[in-house]
Amino acid sequence: MISVETGVTVQSVNVMTSDEGGLSTEQLTELAMDKVINVADSAPPAIKDQAEAFRSSIENVLRYYIELARREERATIAHRMAKAGQKEMADLVRRI
Amino acid sequence: MAIAQAMCTSFKKELLEGVHNFKNSGGGTFKLALYAEGSGGKSSTTATLGATSTVFVTTGEVASSGTYTTGGGSLTRVDPTTSGTTGFTDFADLSFTTATITAMGALIYNSSASNKAVAVLDFTSNKTSTSGTFTIQFPTANASNAIIRIA
Repeated sequence: MISVETGVTVQSVNVMTSDEGGLSTEQLTELAMDKVINVADSAPPAIKDQAEAFRSSIENVLRYYIELARREERATIAHRMAKAGQKEMADLVRRI
Repeated sequence: MAIAQAMCTSFKKELLEGVHNFKNSGGGTFKLALYAEGSGGKSSTTATLGATSTVFVTTGEVASSGTYTTGGGSLTRVDPTTSGTTGFTDFADLSFTTATITAMGALIYNSSASNKAVAVLDFTSNKTSTSGTFTIQFPTANASNAIIRIA
């Protein structure tokens, strides 16, 4: 008898939710980090330590630039609103 | 359990029949619909999903809210690839915004192929957004973690 054994599998997903608005910078950073680097529990201690340090460094850079991107986007939106005569709305967006 | 994580058995058969195409260009339209337990679905319905699911069902699906509309959201396909002896495919993360949703799981199905079921996802606990964002992040696309793998 000739047969080929194989397996079709489905993996779990990660669900992230927010209330009264969009995801926070912390949540977005966490989502990004899950895609950027994964440190295996089984990694040798020395390599694991290095990988964890690298992960932490990348996480800080990501968090900073995500926050900056949000701020800059708000600044652009507020500017466009003010230019269109919506000064109150612009101030509201700027204060988020 | 009303929602049990599984690759639908009918999907395995349909793979061998060439029913599903996950290619980025020219592939089918795959959707992800959200489901609730404990009568949390629209019209107070409860979802029953698992390996025996064969097709998209409305029973237990959450109601439309924000950018979520019943039937679910379309998934962005990523070309299937291989690593070692494992073949796998992936989808881009999916978000529903300004949505008030409580969901316990999801069904991925192929709306280009008579809504045939692909896989059931069990969130293991209720996930809730209130006038906020509900994001489903797919795992890293590799031979060990990708959402759909053939080893």
